[in-house]
Amino acid sequence: MTVFTDVVCPFCGCLCDDLEITVEDGHVTQAKNACAISRSKFLNHDKNRLKAPTVDGVEVPLEKAVDAAADILSTSRRPLVYGLSSTECVAIAKAVELAELAGGVIDNTSSVCHGPTILALQQVGESKTTLGEVKNRADLVIFWGSNPSQAHLRHILRYSGMAKGRFVPNGRKDRHIVAVDIKMTGTARMADEFVKVEPNRDFELLQALRAAVRGHEPQAESVAGVSSMKVVELAERMKAARFGIVFFGLGLTQSEGRHMNIDAAVGLVAELNNHTKFLLTPMRGHYNVAGANTVTTWQTGYPYAVDFSRGYPRYNPGEYTSVDMLARGEADSALVMASDPVSTFPAGVARNLAKIPVVTLDHKVTPTTMLSRVVIPVATAGVEAEGTAYRMDGVPLRLRRLVEPAEGVHSDAEVLEMIMGRMKG
Amino acid sequence: MSKLNVTLVSGRTAQQGVGLEEGKTSVSYVNSVNHVQLSPGDAARMKLEEGGAVTVETRHGSVVVHWRSSKELEPGMAFFPYGLWANQVYGYETEGTGMPMFKALDATVAPSKEEVKSMEEMVKSLGGGGK
Repeated sequence: MTVFTDVVCPFCGCLCDDLEITVEDGHVTQAKNACAISRSKFLNHDKNRLKAPTVDGVEVPLEKAVDAAADILSTSRRPLVYGLSSTECVAIAKAVELAELAGGVIDNTSSVCHGPTILALQQVGESKTTLGEVKNRADLVIFWGSNPSQAHLRHILRYSGMAKGRFVPNGRKDRHIVAVDIKMTGTARMADEFVKVEPNRDFELLQALRAAVRGHEPQAESVAGVSSMKVVELAERMKAARFGIVFFGLGLTQSEGRHMNIDAAVGLVAELNNHTKFLLTPMRGHYNVAGANTVTTWQTGYPYAVDFSRGYPRYNPGEYTSVDMLARGEADSALVMASDPVSTFPAGVARNLAKIPVVTLDHKVTPTTMLSRVVIPVATAGVEAEGTAYRMDGVPLRLRRLVEPAEGVHSDAEVLEMIMGRMKG
Repeated sequence: MSKLNVTLVSGRTAQQGVGLEEGKTSVSYVNSVNHVQLSPGDAARMKLEEGGAVTVETRHGSVVVHWRSSKELEPGMAFFPYGLWANQVYGYETEGTGMPMFKALDATVAPSKEEVKSMEEMVKSLGGGGK
């Protein structure tokens, strides 16, 4: 029996790094300090696994599957490389290399989560901080269009709510928590204050708050379903905070306005910095989606939606983003790694994915592996393969190898290296 | 009431996270995503049968799913956990941003006598499976 301490959890963007994982006879038998999702990940890591590489649904030796993958990617005119966010950074770098080699397009899951956040931050900048700073300093925490009680289960406990910090020694008692949402979520229930905004009206509320911070009282009785009195009250509370932070989620990026909502949120935070210290952080979902953006940026100059068809990287979200590429029927093959787009893309584009040859690297059976021509089982990063992942605040942490992968199963990076080897002939 | 107009919101749930780590083919995962959540008031008004199915429809498509009651929701709002079933009713227009609209769509919910499709049937309906 081996007990690994300070293990980093490879599930969500919190990358909790205080797990204690017990391994007996090559199996994880206990996951201490883990949330329900993390525990499920560690304890079920060997369930529902892909058993062997397949081509057209038929089990084949790994070499055959690698050959088939290389053939598909070498002979297609517009290959799309997609996913990347649930694996470690070296695999992501290899995927970028492969996309360049194939003259294809590379995109990651941020195009359907915080892509609009990136679009806005590239325009207006970002005032960043780490979760450690939040833990030690934040006395006003605003969750806007995000619900950590369902998606980031230990965020409030470890960083933003209960945690006792140097300048907030009483933890929860020293913090005022506000939830802005369209419904009474679990996060809203535990917050000190719930601000119910009308669906698709976040932009107006953010702008009204910004005006109120500047000292302009809203003329209307209410904005986006929130009374003007409440808007002014919240603006005053924000100005009076010592250290405030907005954690925003897909409630802002996936609703009307998309990147303009984030633009407005950044504007509000910038305005608040005339009065106090105020920051904002996107609640990143996949544990290494921030790494997918970071690695793609250091390799190509751009965080997602990158096209290599001219031999050099070009960036154009809305054109080279996966949903758009598939909606137009432009991609004629796809390599999917560490993601399940069939479960996350609108059916109209999933149908187009089903029409083209797809190569998928995954550790478990998913709807995407079900419709892929080539499927290659890989080791689970953070459980069976080591590597680096970036937390939602941009802090890199090291993932561990706790158990050996099954015989003949390699990491994402190794499999990509094999495919590229075959593509180069 | 035969058809209910709702604002449809999608999102992640903890149950879905637990299920997907067991495996996308696990009963726990499928049950976490093949249903829509309605406010208790709306469910009562529509006289929906416990364990019955409903058709959720938007201008992009429709899908038959189970329903559950959620106290988090007020009348007129419905919640669809992200997944294969929810994807049937979302469109792919991104308006130049790369991001489809997954939140706050106009939708209708109506009782249905049809069976809720399995994951394999859903994948087949997309044109995949057995390749």
